[in-house]
Amino acid sequence: MRGFFYLVKFSYRNLFRAPKRTFIMILSLSLGCGFIIWDLNFAKSGSTEIMKDFLSQYAGQYHISNKHYYTEKNKKEFNIFKTMSDDDIEDKSLILKSTKRVNAPVFISGEKKTLGVLLTGIEVLKEKKLSSLYKVVTVGRFLDDKNEKEIVLGKSLAQKINIGIGEEVAIIGQAVDGSIANDLYKVVGLLDFGGGDLEDSLAFTQIHSAQELLSLPENKYHQRVSFDMETEELPVLKNLAVTHWSMLLPEIGVSMKFVDNFTWIVSIIIVVVVSLGLSNTLMITFFEREQEFTCLNIIGAKASWITWSLMVEVFIMGTIAVVLGAFLGFVATSYCNYQPINIELFTGGKPIIMGGMTLKPLVRIYSVSQYYWKVPLMIYFFLSLTMIYPLSRVIGRSKNAV
Amino acid sequence: MQFELSQIDKVYVSSQENQVFGAKDVNIKIHEGDFMALVGPSGSGKTTILNLIAGLILPTKGSLKHGTEDITSMSLEERTKHRLDYMGFVFQDYQLLPILTAWENIEFPLQLRGFSKNEIKERVDWALAQVGLEKLGNRFPKQLSGGQQQRVSIARAIAGRPQLILADEPTANLDSKTAQEIIELFLKLNKDFKLTFIFSTHDQHLIDQIRTVHYIKDGHISESREHHV
Repeated sequence: MRGFFYLVKFSYRNLFRAPKRTFIMILSLSLGCGFIIWDLNFAKSGSTEIMKDFLSQYAGQYHISNKHYYTEKNKKEFNIFKTMSDDDIEDKSLILKSTKRVNAPVFISGEKKTLGVLLTGIEVLKEKKLSSLYKVVTVGRFLDDKNEKEIVLGKSLAQKINIGIGEEVAIIGQAVDGSIANDLYKVVGLLDFGGGDLEDSLAFTQIHSAQELLSLPENKYHQRVSFDMETEELPVLKNLAVTHWSMLLPEIGVSMKFVDNFTWIVSIIIVVVVSLGLSNTLMITFFEREQEFTCLNIIGAKASWITWSLMVEVFIMGTIAVVLGAFLGFVATSYCNYQPINIELFTGGKPIIMGGMTLKPLVRIYSVSQYYWKVPLMIYFFLSLTMIYPLSRVIGRSKNAV
Repeated sequence: MQFELSQIDKVYVSSQENQVFGAKDVNIKIHEGDFMALVGPSGSGKTTILNLIAGLILPTKGSLKHGTEDITSMSLEERTKHRLDYMGFVFQDYQLLPILTAWENIEFPLQLRGFSKNEIKERVDWALAQVGLEKLGNRFPKQLSGGQQQRVSIARAIAGRPQLILADEPTANLDSKTAQEIIELFLKLNKDFKLTFIFSTHDQHLIDQIRTVHYIKDGHISESREHHV
């Protein structure tokens, strides 16, 4: 053990042989490490924040519905005849964490035009508590729980059918008993999703009004939407289907996965590039000491001892660099948490529209703990690969020199 | 203790037609307390013979023994361990580790041998005292003069109380006054502690002070002389 400590001490002292060079190597490695941690934090927390913001407006984290409500192959298609009730849910705690919705594809008629939209009946008070839909109403007001047959609809939809606040629209659809469903609704507010497609195709009313329109009994509805964003694991229900948002919006799920994976690929490329630079510097450093290695061997240091001392030297340097890098990554991430990043900087000032909604431009970055050990491990791995070539060359050459 | 080289040849082959004898039919016996020099011009084969004794290179022909042990049959790692346990080295250009102080440079081979902390301290202090550098142990090599660095190098070689000290042109980089001091130090260590020295040189002034001198020409011992000093 004493021999090992001496080896570590010897290797540590070697770091001060050319302090400027060691400083530059540590700095480049730690800046690389810090940047990668920040970058991964940015990608992960940024995409998570964006998704939370997006999902909390309307889509939710997961939907509980009749097993046959969504079409198996395409979750964008649904069957309004497949309903459910609270009695179907075994785990009653899920009822508290979710809100009921009734969905009806209908025609909406204004003064000049009739268009197809999705009318959703919502529990007004609970929806206000769980989602941020009410925040999207920028003209007029949100639905009032005490009233009925009120409607809020997308701003651009209102423009297309030429309707304003306080006016009435006619809704025509099919009830679940097969009859024609029609009624008049008073427009109380306009939704502003930032100009996305959803503004053309969504309208909301009180759940009782929607149930009445579709001739649904009061206890029947189409789905319960959960906004519990922290829960990644879906509940398992015997009689009902639980559908994650990524199944309902597969294109967004895939693009989020792509962002995550792409960031890792970029990170690995950065580490490989930094490692190649380091490998070259290490090779030069080792070759400069070739005569010394020969001398060490002459006075009794075995080739394996010399190899270990070099490896420990690089390991100590790597450890200082990753600790410093993790600290730099943490500081940069914390700063971007305090001072959010405007993601429109990356789009030339244009808004980012996802799933028909415009995302909020300011993203707060937070630290994801797994990156603080995964990135250093990745750097150690590549650092080990980096050493192989210079070490083998040096050991080979010093043996030949002897 | 006896190091014995018998009918040693060392041939360097750069191509089939071009073969050079680094050592040719070399016969040397080294006994405890010997003070021996290999003398010859540059390229005569002095360093090759020192390298052969150290086991740094293996002979093409002949036997190389330390007591009953056959050095030529040892593996590379075994020969390194053999050098660590039985030999000390002094180099022309000192070869001190710049990152270690004088004290730590002397400590280095003792650490490799696994001596205890107390024993290391005792041996390093003793070696520094022998070379007259007790007060400069905490200095780094670059803070020492050439002569002082060579003294540290000698202290490193003797600290392990080796059976043989090999020195390759130990005075070549020193001025004549310092070179004389180094030789006097070798002679003192040889006399006081019966340390065995073999070194290469071409300094005639020093040769006069050495007991056994082998003159080397084209890898061969052309002449051997015993001086009474």
